[in-house]
Amino acid sequence: MTIMPMTTLRRAALAAMAAILAVSVIDPVWAQAVSFAAPPHATGVMSQSAVMGWILTRQAAFYRSLSGFIRASRDDGAAMWGLFGISFLYGIFHAVGPGHGKAVISSYLVANEETWRRGVVLSFASAAIQSAVAIIVVAIAAVLLGTTAKAIGSTVHVVETVSYGLVILIGLRLLFVKGRGFLMACRELIRGLTWQPASTEAATSLHGSRMIVLRHDHRPGTTSFRCEPCHGGDNDHVHGPHGHDDPDHDRHESAWGHAHGPEPSELAGAGGWRRGVSAVIAVGLRPCSGAIIVLIFALAQDLFWTGAAATLVMGLGTAITVAAIATLAVGARNIASRIAGARSGLGMLTMRAIEVGAAALIVVFGVLLLAGYMASEQLWMFTG
Amino acid sequence: MMNRTHSCFCAVLLLSLPVSLPMTGAAAHPHVWVTTHSEILYSAEGAMTGVRHAWTFDDMFSAYALQGISHARKGQYTREELASLAQLNVTSLKEYGYFTYARADGRKVKLLDAADYWLEYNNAALTLHFTLPLAAPAAAKAMQIEIYDPTIFVDFEFAKDAPVLLSGAPPQCLLRADPPHQPTPAEQLRLSQLDGDPLDASSSYGEIFANKILVKCP
Repeated sequence: MTIMPMTTLRRAALAAMAAILAVSVIDPVWAQAVSFAAPPHATGVMSQSAVMGWILTRQAAFYRSLSGFIRASRDDGAAMWGLFGISFLYGIFHAVGPGHGKAVISSYLVANEETWRRGVVLSFASAAIQSAVAIIVVAIAAVLLGTTAKAIGSTVHVVETVSYGLVILIGLRLLFVKGRGFLMACRELIRGLTWQPASTEAATSLHGSRMIVLRHDHRPGTTSFRCEPCHGGDNDHVHGPHGHDDPDHDRHESAWGHAHGPEPSELAGAGGWRRGVSAVIAVGLRPCSGAIIVLIFALAQDLFWTGAAATLVMGLGTAITVAAIATLAVGARNIASRIAGARSGLGMLTMRAIEVGAAALIVVFGVLLLAGYMASEQLWMFTG
Repeated sequence: MMNRTHSCFCAVLLLSLPVSLPMTGAAAHPHVWVTTHSEILYSAEGAMTGVRHAWTFDDMFSAYALQGISHARKGQYTREELASLAQLNVTSLKEYGYFTYARADGRKVKLLDAADYWLEYNNAALTLHFTLPLAAPAAAKAMQIEIYDPTIFVDFEFAKDAPVLLSGAPPQCLLRADPPHQPTPAEQLRLSQLDGDPLDASSSYGEIFANKILVKCP
């Protein structure tokens, strides 16, 4: 009885470490967040930052060559294809840097137990919205109204603030749902350990790894086998998790009832897709400063539509990077889930904790963006 | 009783999660490129009084800044037509300390608001001229002026030709202009672990990207 919780703990710890390692490889922002807990090996960090440095140098070079290509495409139609090619590459490289919702989308996918396929769709959708918002802002503000850079900058600022606010709201909602899932799993686990570790093991192995044990307490069959050892125990049976007089019971049936995430089949439904829309809009709403500048430069050359096309191609490149990182995040989560889930209640608790952590990250990202700590794209630096 | 202990334990566990997520810093992401010319100004007594900048923006950002600015002739902007934009530029720049950091013998020196500013438009690029007076004339042995954006939204680069000039300095003063060097492995490591506030002018973080002007007078 004393040995079992120990091995469970070790497994859970291993699972958590595997998840953190997997995630830290995929995104420097995550890596930064994680490096606090476990300082990575110095050489690893150096090579990573060298790669990042190279990518950022490349994207800067691509960006600077855009103006030449836009100018050239005024006289030479063939140069337009060069422009689109550079825009595409710029999008891919540029999205590696901050912004573009990689961190938020990845955290959202991890917290929400999304499939990689949905991750890809959400990434492309948010990138498409981002491009569209940039084109619409410039089309209305510059082409139709002829406003100044200051007005465009303030418009972008407002849209950006709304976007960050939405990110925080989505994060808080997820944090609430996942936090409750974690609390339930945790309380249940401790109860299980206190009373009857054996029955917890039995319950999880019976009902599959991804379920919170508590859920099955409402079913007559499982209630009976859960209750049996509790009543046989000598302590604390008043607070048992069983029975419908349990104070927890009502909460399970609330609107937030899917605290442990739906099955993949449920995600495929129309309602499942609708849930992702809020995240996509929140992330995609904020236009990329680079796209705005490129569009206005194109407009100044009387090539607005060429600029709009280049912006969309740029978005395609961005989407590929974001989707790749999102896929890695989902993959990391699945690996962690497989390691943790195949075990016991503690493994499940680890997964709930990862989800809570991911949800908390969304809130942190949102707050940092809103506070201006992570927003390095400040269009109004020179123009108010 | 038991239940409450469990709940408390769980809550503590849960609350410790977000706390363990440290801040993340901004990373390199320039969207504005500025080529700089600077003139270091001296009083008749040989004390440094300020710096006069002439910053040329890249063509794309110039086009962005010029959006909606009315002008009489296509492709041309007079200093008068650009006056309001120049005013806007220096007001906005004030918030960022004009991206100019001065030190006299290692101590930070306060800069006053920009004066004598105007914009000119040439070869599809805007050049902003402005003067930053020192709060008090400084007669230090080593004067250092750095130009950089700690958030790296703006990429500053010394102009190829005579990026820094001394104006009225004592003849024995020596001028050095050092462009940003390639980060050493140690600096790269520090950069990648950066989790402090990058906007703090006293942090040495941005120095890696700083264009450094050094004037040594005996």
